Amino acid sequence: MSFSERVTYVLSHPGWPFALVALLGAAGMFLLLPRGARGGRRVGGMLAVAAFVLLGAKLPHLTGLREGVFAMLATVTVVSAVGSVTFRSPVYCAIWFALTLAGTAGLFMFQGAQFLGVATIVVYAGAILVTMLFVLMLAQPQGLSTYDRVSWEPLLGAGVGGLLVGLLTHLLRSSLATADAGFAAAKPMTENAVLVNEHVAGLGAQLFSKHLIAVEAGGSLLLVAVVAAVAITSQGVPKRQGGRYE
Amino acid sequence: MPEYVIVALVKIALLIGGLMTAAAYFVLLERWMAAWIQDRKGPNRVGIPLTKIKLFGLGQPLADGVKFILKEEYTPGHVDKFLYSLAPISILAAALASFAVVPVGDRLPAIFGYGPFDLTAAPGIDVGMIYVFALSSIAVYGVILGGWASNNKYSFLGGLRSSAQLIAYELPMGLGILGIVLASGSLRLETIINAQASSGLWNVFWQPIGFVVFVIAAFAEAARLPFDLPEAEQELIGGYHTEYSGLRLLMYLVAEFLHMIMAAFLIVILFLGGWHFWGLTGDATGEITWGQAILRHIILMSKITGVILFFMLVRWSWPRFRFDQLMALAWKVMLPLGMVNLVVIAVLVEFQPQLIERAGGRGMASLLMIGASWLIGIICWAAVAWASPLGTDNRPVYGKIGAME
Repeated sequence: MSFSERVTYVLSHPGWPFALVALLGAAGMFLLLPRGARGGRRVGGMLAVAAFVLLGAKLPHLTGLREGVFAMLATVTVVSAVGSVTFRSPVYCAIWFALTLAGTAGLFMFQGAQFLGVATIVVYAGAILVTMLFVLMLAQPQGLSTYDRVSWEPLLGAGVGGLLVGLLTHLLRSSLATADAGFAAAKPMTENAVLVNEHVAGLGAQLFSKHLIAVEAGGSLLLVAVVAAVAITSQGVPKRQGGRYE
Repeated sequence: MPEYVIVALVKIALLIGGLMTAAAYFVLLERWMAAWIQDRKGPNRVGIPLTKIKLFGLGQPLADGVKFILKEEYTPGHVDKFLYSLAPISILAAALASFAVVPVGDRLPAIFGYGPFDLTAAPGIDVGMIYVFALSSIAVYGVILGGWASNNKYSFLGGLRSSAQLIAYELPMGLGILGIVLASGSLRLETIINAQASSGLWNVFWQPIGFVVFVIAAFAEAARLPFDLPEAEQELIGGYHTEYSGLRLLMYLVAEFLHMIMAAFLIVILFLGGWHFWGLTGDATGEITWGQAILRHIILMSKITGVILFFMLVRWSWPRFRFDQLMALAWKVMLPLGMVNLVVIAVLVEFQPQLIERAGGRGMASLLMIGASWLIGIICWAAVAWASPLGTDNRPVYGKIGAME
């Protein structure tokens, strides 16, 4: 194979558009991330939007209410995910992250996985993120400490993220095309299947029969963590010596 | 537009209208209760505008609402403007959305061939109970964001207290619910009511520990008076909503009342039999007549009003907890009691078939279950009373009294 043939072969590969879009998105994200430098954020935003629109244009056309709901939920999730890494104030990042979780929960619900959707909200948005928010607010009420306001490895982060998105999109697209599934993967369950199914009972039966060992292992891990937390917090109690405390 | 969308929209409109009106008139009811308990007259002047008709003060909520809407919506200069506006919206939205899965009656018979209609905005959500939980955990955001964005020490303290309190009391609340879920085998609120209606045995009779734990946790989650540390007018001048005024303050106050109404709904649905009343509401399964449908709705609503009156009575009867008492109650009393409740209910549910067989009939078995659970409940109560005697001294315990130098 001559050199020109090789170049033509590589250039005719169907993955090129995705590679370019991923590169575009990575460049946009790099410019958007808080790097400590002022300029370029507007350009970065425009590049990221362009990449998002180009990727979206690769999807099949939207027909009807259901695909519209899916597209809305997906857009909310992606945009708020970008917001959660690009904002400077940690509290705002946490709020954007909460919105990402809400979008993810909506996507779960959309596919009929009610329990997963609600559990995402309860566990992540309701417990973990609130605790994080608590710490963030206590740590810097004024929100002015510089080390909290820049991202640590913007170039590496944006590059790896772009690579991941490009590869995943390419793989998913080719597998979807071979299965001729199109939007089938994102179709909601029909109304009756959602209403009639005993989701939680089914999930519980699966967890406590097929995945019993995993559940027990997870439970033991949590128990160990609780014991450790008690051990750590109870160290501060002064010891008693002859009716007195030191 | 498909007809189920229209049905859902009508239900949502009715639900929001009803809830907003209910919140407004419960404020009036609360002020009447306060007046009655403190031996004064309370609001009794406002009636029909521009006339001299007083109507026992029933126009008061309208006047309050107009006042809130017409007030200047002042935004202090030192606040984080975006979060300051977002916080009350998020808490009100979460409080309203959580009513989507709550049945406000049983169902209506068919009208002109359509139906029957469930009296739930989103019927058949299989995770109804956890959905309510999820949205009540979203409400925490409204409180801590409001407290933080106000950029005021008192607001911030209120927000911190509130998030600690709400997180702490979510655990006993969940443990109280687990017993119910175990007994009825579903997280669906309609199924839980149906289970109680078909057996005629309300959950409160044979789950007394769960009831006590759940009611106390529900008070704490709704931040009603023995647990109103997040606001604490006397210490924190209003807590997280110190800096709010006008319509935004109204959103907070309405959300607070909605939390109380939600707590009342949950107490009635989970423990007090929902729309069921012996000898009145008829068979739980099968066809339903208009008379039965309306009767069930009225019974549910009167039970809820009764629970809300209890909430208000408690508000004017008990002083506020101190923060360490609050936390001790959650972690040292409520949590172990919830665990005991779970074990007791699991054992009772597991051995119910054998019990029915041995005791000869459902009625006798139910009586035995009630007896056993109340016996254990009284033992637990005595154990709690013995282990944590009444005390108001919060100084650190340095051994015996007098040993401290």
